[in-house]
Amino acid sequence: MSPVNELPIKGSQFFERSSGALDRRQALSLLATGIATGLAACSKPTEQIIPYVYMPERVVPGQALKFATTLPLSGFGRGVIVTSIDGRPIKVEGNPRHPCSLGATDVFAEAAVLSLYDPDRSRTPLKSGEIASHEAFRLAMQPQLRQMHASSRKGFRRLTRRVTSPTLLRQIDDLLQQFPKAAWHAYEPVDEDSAQAGAVLAYGRPLQAVPRLERATIVVTLDADPLGQGPDQLRNARGFAARRTPHAQGFSRIYSIEAAPTLTGAKADHRIALHPILMGEAAIAIANSMGAGLRQATLPDNVMHFVRQAAADLLANRGAGLVLSGHALSPEASALVHWINARLQAPVDLIEPSDRTAGGREAGTLSHLTRDLQSGTVDQLLVIGANPGYDAPADLEFARHSAQASFRLHVGCYVDETAALSTWHVPQTHELEAWSDLRSCDGTASIVQPLIRPLYSTRTEHEILALLTGRGDASSYDLVQETWRPKAGAGFEDWWTRTLHDGIIAGSTSAAATPGQPALPVVGAAAPESSAMTVLLRPDPSLWDGTFANNAWLQECPKPLTKQVWGNALALNPQSARRLGLTAGDVVTIDADGRRIETTVAVEPGVADGVASLTLGLGRRNAGAIGNGIGANAYAIRTMASPWMIPDVIITKTGRCDEILTTQNVVRTAEDVRELYPLRELSNLGKPKTPPADSLPSLLPERPLPDDGHAWAMVIDASVCIGCNACVVACQAENNIPVVGPEEVARGRDMHWLRVDVYDHGSAAQPKPGFQPVPCMHCEHAPCEPVCPVAASVHDGEGLNVQVYNRCVGTRFCEANCPYKVRRFNFFGYADGEEYANLGFESYRAQKNPEVTVRARGVMEKCTYCVQRISGARRAAERDDRPIGVDEVKTACQSACPTSAITFGDLHQTDSAVNRQKADERHYALLGHLGTRPRTTYLADVRNPAPGFNEDGT
Amino acid sequence: MQIFRPGANTIATLLLASLGAIPVLAIGLIYQIAGSAYITDQNVTRNQLVPFSHEHHVGGLGLDCRYCHTSVEKARFAGLPPTETCMTCHSQIWTNAQMLAPVRVSLAENKPIRWRRVNELPGYVYFDHSIHIAKGVGCSTCHGPIHEMKLTRQAEPLTMQWCLGCHRDPAKSIRPREAVFDPGWNPPDDQENSGRKLLAAYQIHTDNLTDCSICHR
Amino acid sequence: MSPVLDPALPAPYRWIASERASDVEMTQAIADPVFAPVGRAWWIAVLVSLPFVLWFIGSIGWLFYKGIGIWGINSTVVWGVAIANYVWWIGIGNAGTLISSMLLLTRQQWRGSINRFAEAMTLFAVAIAGIMPIIHVGRPIYAYWLAPYPNTMALWPQWRSALVWDFWAIISYLLFSIMFWYVSLIPDLATMRDRTRTRAGQVLYGAFALGWRGSARHWNRLKTLHITMAALGVPLVCSVHSIVGLDFAASLMPGWQESIFPPYFVVGAMYCGFAMVIILALAIRWGLNLQAIITANHFEVMSRILLMASIVMGYSYATEWFMAWYGGQHSDRSVVVFEFTGTYAPLFWALLFCNVVLPQALWFPAVRRSLPALFVICVAINIGMWLERILIIWNTLSHDYMPSVWRSFHFTFWDWSFLIAPLGLFAFLFLLFVRLVPAVSMFDMRELSHKEGAA
Repeated sequence: MSPVNELPIKGSQFFERSSGALDRRQALSLLATGIATGLAACSKPTEQIIPYVYMPERVVPGQALKFATTLPLSGFGRGVIVTSIDGRPIKVEGNPRHPCSLGATDVFAEAAVLSLYDPDRSRTPLKSGEIASHEAFRLAMQPQLRQMHASSRKGFRRLTRRVTSPTLLRQIDDLLQQFPKAAWHAYEPVDEDSAQAGAVLAYGRPLQAVPRLERATIVVTLDADPLGQGPDQLRNARGFAARRTPHAQGFSRIYSIEAAPTLTGAKADHRIALHPILMGEAAIAIANSMGAGLRQATLPDNVMHFVRQAAADLLANRGAGLVLSGHALSPEASALVHWINARLQAPVDLIEPSDRTAGGREAGTLSHLTRDLQSGTVDQLLVIGANPGYDAPADLEFARHSAQASFRLHVGCYVDETAALSTWHVPQTHELEAWSDLRSCDGTASIVQPLIRPLYSTRTEHEILALLTGRGDASSYDLVQETWRPKAGAGFEDWWTRTLHDGIIAGSTSAAATPGQPALPVVGAAAPESSAMTVLLRPDPSLWDGTFANNAWLQECPKPLTKQVWGNALALNPQSARRLGLTAGDVVTIDADGRRIETTVAVEPGVADGVASLTLGLGRRNAGAIGNGIGANAYAIRTMASPWMIPDVIITKTGRCDEILTTQNVVRTAEDVRELYPLRELSNLGKPKTPPADSLPSLLPERPLPDDGHAWAMVIDASVCIGCNACVVACQAENNIPVVGPEEVARGRDMHWLRVDVYDHGSAAQPKPGFQPVPCMHCEHAPCEPVCPVAASVHDGEGLNVQVYNRCVGTRFCEANCPYKVRRFNFFGYADGEEYANLGFESYRAQKNPEVTVRARGVMEKCTYCVQRISGARRAAERDDRPIGVDEVKTACQSACPTSAITFGDLHQTDSAVNRQKADERHYALLGHLGTRPRTTYLADVRNPAPGFNEDGT
Repeated sequence: MQIFRPGANTIATLLLASLGAIPVLAIGLIYQIAGSAYITDQNVTRNQLVPFSHEHHVGGLGLDCRYCHTSVEKARFAGLPPTETCMTCHSQIWTNAQMLAPVRVSLAENKPIRWRRVNELPGYVYFDHSIHIAKGVGCSTCHGPIHEMKLTRQAEPLTMQWCLGCHRDPAKSIRPREAVFDPGWNPPDDQENSGRKLLAAYQIHTDNLTDCSICHR
Repeated sequence: MSPVLDPALPAPYRWIASERASDVEMTQAIADPVFAPVGRAWWIAVLVSLPFVLWFIGSIGWLFYKGIGIWGINSTVVWGVAIANYVWWIGIGNAGTLISSMLLLTRQQWRGSINRFAEAMTLFAVAIAGIMPIIHVGRPIYAYWLAPYPNTMALWPQWRSALVWDFWAIISYLLFSIMFWYVSLIPDLATMRDRTRTRAGQVLYGAFALGWRGSARHWNRLKTLHITMAALGVPLVCSVHSIVGLDFAASLMPGWQESIFPPYFVVGAMYCGFAMVIILALAIRWGLNLQAIITANHFEVMSRILLMASIVMGYSYATEWFMAWYGGQHSDRSVVVFEFTGTYAPLFWALLFCNVVLPQALWFPAVRRSLPALFVICVAINIGMWLERILIIWNTLSHDYMPSVWRSFHFTFWDWSFLIAPLGLFAFLFLLFVRLVPAVSMFDMRELSHKEGAA
């Protein structure tokens, strides 16, 4: 059944697989059609063993090696540790040493290994669409280079995404010295521009704010989402968690003022929806309450009431109060937020932005570039890593103007929308194949080291730039080393080895600037009331800005709050929907002065009235077999002037309907929710409570814990779970969980072993959602076990409820009888001959975890507590006659979790973390009253509302 | 008018009797076949590109298993020697032997030698050599008298039943660690209790040894 | 062809609607249709049912090729049409043996006219029911792992599972029904042997007649064996559908975990089984011109049983609702509410109408004696009972403990296939049956006609 052979197969050869797999597939169809006999051994193909010719150092066939590297998100680095088996990177985990990972990962980092093996990746250079060679490209570059040198006009433009890589910045400096008239532009779809503009207003120079949530007692967010997906999510989440367990000193309180639901809003103690136009007013109101003496803010009464309370709380917590501003705020507003934070001595560091060259050079904007293109003054356009053909704001009409440049080079991992606009395309090396370096949000630099020889003949950004500066021979490796050799000083080799091992460059974190007192910005008149709808754009929680659109794991990763997969939808609150005569599923056209897109309506309480929110990153045309044509492209209505907020749009019904694919349909059924997701208030913790349901008397015989061996258990703290889905994708990567595709999701089928349920304690008007990750409960009295006729669902001596795939015949009685519905069935050969789209391609097999069986069609599967990791630890321990260490085994979901909400361990080890968690008074078992005695249990969510305060002003 | 001859009664009785007998016999037969070498490949010798003889290298020259199977103590996979290992000796001796031509070619062209698997387990069985070695299960316990095999063959049936035989009662087949790599080792007469002593010494917990999760994931 | 016995109205006797019915005439009346040249009606019927047989075979082939994903089942509602069909067909299958063995034990005169084809119905229905669990599973080629057999994996079935009990229930019931049916067939096979004119016929019927000579000793042994088997049969029949009930009752799910399921399943089985018997009786009576043998009185008594059963069903439903409320479990109550108001509410109301409301018409003698009306009611009952089975599955699975995974079932073409095609197979087998053996027990009828004084 396992198509992954644990045999050592050399370097790039690892796609050719021992005959096992193919025959397994044939065998399956044969068996399925009933031709083969039941005797599994029949017509067994003889496998081959293919040893090395020369054994590489350190490689032990089938044994995992771990390497530290860095993965980018919006140009910022997050340190990770990648597991590689037989030279194949198969799993990404966080790097505890890295300040912006802290040992955790987010969905994008977890999914990187899938993108690496994406068969849609670009493999060869293209000359206007035709396959060409690298040699041909080099030759084609020569005249261009000569011209660049010669040309008196500023004919040479270079467009990148946000660049934080010191090496790349150094190369850019060199380049711009060589070509003084050339120019460098950078465009990041999810930018911090308004925030930086705000900093300029406040401090006279662009500074980047690094909030320290771990030091904040009161947090007020103005449409900001520190806990949401983003380059700094992991650090923020850890900071948040530090102040959200009842034992932590100073349990924090979060006030969230936002236009559409965010993860921060979901975890907030007080939340109110406010039209983005009025966000600035809220800032003014807060500032005024601190004696800013600005004009009267015009806000609805209930919001004013809310803001007063928040401001009062902030003032009461000077030094520990923090206000955060979001993308959509005007520069004045964010400047005002800087002023407020300065007033509060808020726990936020201001650092110099890291996307400047050593020479202080700063990238030009995309609008400048298009203006020059338009004026026809650009001869050569080099787009490296960016994809403006897709994600440039529509009003720039980049596609049209780019044609003005005669020579257009695109360097990228995919033959994407921009490649289609270019005369030359050169395939770019994937981060996991390349040498480079990156800085993270707090300025910490770390090295990007390759886990594998490039799969295809690709080039890194460094190599391309080296080519331009006439150093075509230089490898990325040399270039990166050149950058750091001077900084490291003597003993570079040791420094280098240590740096690679640690995954961060010691002492590179940028120090907090001391910019003095911020100026109080001048605020304009209040924005006029408008009855028209405003579309609010958000980066997509699963696909970010569209870079990851061709990653099947992310496409099928349920969006944290809406649980939507395979697409995006226009979210309206019920009132607005009623006003526009729309219902969920209606296909509408959004008309933003002349620019039209079609999308599907989703009715979502919590969106501000008169606002419709839509996520970026979908509606790709040239993403690949997975991402093409999924969802609506919000960039098509985006404008440079106001990139996050499209005012005065006309939303009209098309009359057509479309199904919104979700993995959870019901979130608000009061009675169930109270039972399944109890919500505690900090104030009434510590009061005597009823005995936990799981300790109720039972007629069933007690299953005594085995006295030798182990008793594995998991505790999930709902109080700090931010629903970010890192665990879901981590589980998918670790356990070879297949993707089922949109058609199957539409039929109510999914495969995630770990799902994050959303339960809402609030009302349609005032949602109070909470997140509940649900893996297998590993019940001690498991209902699935007695009903299986072939004993495929059985208990093992360490309390695991194991599913024996090769014994399962697929009666599905276990799932029918599972109160938690955590078992997943292979209705088709999702991983086994009937994959979705191109997911069956050989290249993807390299990602499969050889320690986990790939399940056949017709087989039930489920969470195993990562039994392969337990078994690995057990064998390692027994090999050297020692017991398994306390908390030595970490499950994939646990190690991914940014807030350490998941603890796993052995109940027999008294000092294990799970035992500590189980002692907590918030501890409860899901549906404990059924007497299933689950080993996976929960700590109730705790909220910390301000005493005597209530959002709706009563 | 008579339709049937007198014999018909006997035939009828026999038929009725066989209705009961045949299913039972059939099941017995199938069971026998399923356990037979025809299905399990027990004692099937596979032809290899290079007719490597364990008899010569182990029995004759007395090479230690670990000289070639380097990862047997560290990993699930015992490891097959890279070509360079063969060439450490064969660059000096038998340098022109015809039967070694493929090895030389492999090294020259940097193409791995493709061996045919002899002991093959289904993909869903996660056998780990290292732990068995560490706990005193000798190579020859599963691989048989390897030092007498001119061409390597599968010595045991490798059926689940066979695995369980040992996992249910390891005492009868574990040996002192120092003897693990001795292909000629024979159990002492008091194996039963010396085995039990070793169980204690090597801290082998027998209660969970037959859990499904020990071998399947 | 003109009937040997011309039906006289009003019926002179209770169970025989003919002035006179000598042994010869009775035998002729029943045996002749088997020897008579095939009529047009039969051919048409075969030609109509044959495509369904092929459709069924084709569907199974496609299912094995593509996998059970072709059905409308999903991650939450993991069971669907296959299970409902299984319960429904097993239910039909129950009636035949139940009827004839119970009526035999209770010395009911009239069983003679219906037991033969009722038992045949049982055989075919159970055979079809037996297919369903096999095609239901995800890996049908390993379905045999449910059977205990020695193997090199040293593994056995998991005896606590109701599905293993099911396996035994079906096997033993099928074997028993075959034997029970065959035993009561022997004397008639002998008759056929003696009446047939072809050599082949003589050999075949003769072989299966096992040398029956009709001696006093033969009759004595037959009667003893038959009544003994009947005594064994009744508990067996009850056990079969009780165990099917346990598939659900022995679970943890709201709406399934109910001690009433076993008895209520048995009654349900008898209910739809009897309805099916009436439908078949109507067909045979018309097709084989047996108006004189299957009389209005037969339908009269059978409809009374239907009426009784419908009341018991109504009572069982009511008990479920009451216990859900009385038990006070939120989940149980919410499932009942979901039944009446949820996604499948229309079907639920339809089932209540078919199984409980409509059959109340049988209080009126006129309805009991009007064959068209009876036909309509019986069809309705069979539909209602299928709905009951599918709704037991859907309602609980679509609306269990976890609101986060509440999902509903969506019918696909293949669900329809596996619902409809087997009916064709059933009809086809039944058509073959009436052409091969006497559809009514000749010796029982001869005996009856003596008792009634018609001989």
